Amino acid sequence: MVVVIFFSSCKDKEYTIPLPKTGLNNDCIKRSLGPNIVGMNIEFTYAMALPNATGKLVSSQVEATIGGAAGTYLENKSYYTNGSGVDIGIVVGNPSVTTSTKTEVTFSKDTCASTLRYFYYIPEEARGKSVSFTFSAKSSDGESVSYTMGPYVISKMDMKLDMVLSDNNNSYLSIADMAVYNSATAVANADKIDLVYLYRAITGITFLHSLVSPANTEYLPGVTLPAGVTKSTKVSKAWALRDFNLARLQYGIYIDDLDFDVINLKDAPNYAINTKAEAGVWVETADGKYRAYVYVNKVDNTAKTMTVSIKRLQVK
Amino acid sequence: MKKYFVASFAILLIAFVFVRCNKFPIDEDGLLITERAQCYVSNFELLGSDFQTVRTQASLIDTTALTINTTVFYGTDLKNLYPQFSLVTDAKLDPKIVGKVDFSDLTNPKKYTVISGNRQVKKTYTVYITVQPKP
Repeated sequence: MVVVIFFSSCKDKEYTIPLPKTGLNNDCIKRSLGPNIVGMNIEFTYAMALPNATGKLVSSQVEATIGGAAGTYLENKSYYTNGSGVDIGIVVGNPSVTTSTKTEVTFSKDTCASTLRYFYYIPEEARGKSVSFTFSAKSSDGESVSYTMGPYVISKMDMKLDMVLSDNNNSYLSIADMAVYNSATAVANADKIDLVYLYRAITGITFLHSLVSPANTEYLPGVTLPAGVTKSTKVSKAWALRDFNLARLQYGIYIDDLDFDVINLKDAPNYAINTKAEAGVWVETADGKYRAYVYVNKVDNTAKTMTVSIKRLQVK
Repeated sequence: MKKYFVASFAILLIAFVFVRCNKFPIDEDGLLITERAQCYVSNFELLGSDFQTVRTQASLIDTTALTINTTVFYGTDLKNLYPQFSLVTDAKLDPKIVGKVDFSDLTNPKKYTVISGNRQVKKTYTVYITVQPKP
């Protein structure tokens, strides 16, 4: 009864048109998604504007707490999207100049409003640390504004894309090195080989593309292992985990450092047969030092190859 | 518009106050104890660690002998399997399946008891797993 009375006594508020702001104003959004991995970039768009009668934009600057890697730049073009959905850039300033932690663009065209994109290439020094950004703009009437973004945690994980494994050739995978070896180079790196790739088309069973630990010879038919390649690596199959950074498909799912910390592979087997494209395997090395997710980009039954991309975290 | 929302909300509120709860009692798991005496497994699914089926064909369920026979793919890891039982309406299973189950001990097959809706009839099924042999 009380609730009914309460609802009936509420009134709609009158709508009032908002007043525009005066002076120089700015806003910023982060465009990139997912974990911030070393070697990849963090993308922002920074908008600055002031009333046309007041003045024009003079310069724009971004300062990062940890200086970006080579390739960090502030766009000097302002973009608009045309009728076909294509982003068209109009040059509004000089190419950006980066000095240690600051990246600056000086406007070369008279403009009172502009949105510039900023690409911060994550350096190795930032791994595991937090990075903050201060975006600022100056106008011709002496005003300046700034906007702080962050702090953003940079992932500790590593990533390597598109490694091709081929049966009876480049079939030795090392998680520690994030590399593929053949039988000759595997001998020199015997203690680093974690998994063996093989393709078998055996009638009556589904073997096909498989990742097997060297220790499990039952699932390595017809394979002669090089001397010293004996590890037992934990392998757990995953289905339809199409991590965006590894798969580069339309699925918005991301594997982050936390996923490697919480996954429990204690009872996992040391082999995975019949792995399919767009599936993957969680891997833990024999010494427990690394945990990784090996994503299968594609498989080729005729060529007997498998293309994989790996995200790896050192957990010990 | 707003007054219609208020009126319908008021009617619903009054209706909820007067509705009676159903007449079946609830057991210790919060499930209804009904009048059904049927007690059987209608389907048995087995999933691997990637939650994809590891059966090569449909499970053979013998309701008289109380056995479930499943053949799994060559190379299936029997230590990390997720069984899924389809039971008749209102029945429940004991022991409860809370996560992965280790079926690797083929000499001591796992047993599951189905309890009927009225909790009077209990039948224990034995699950036999056969791994596809390598040709």
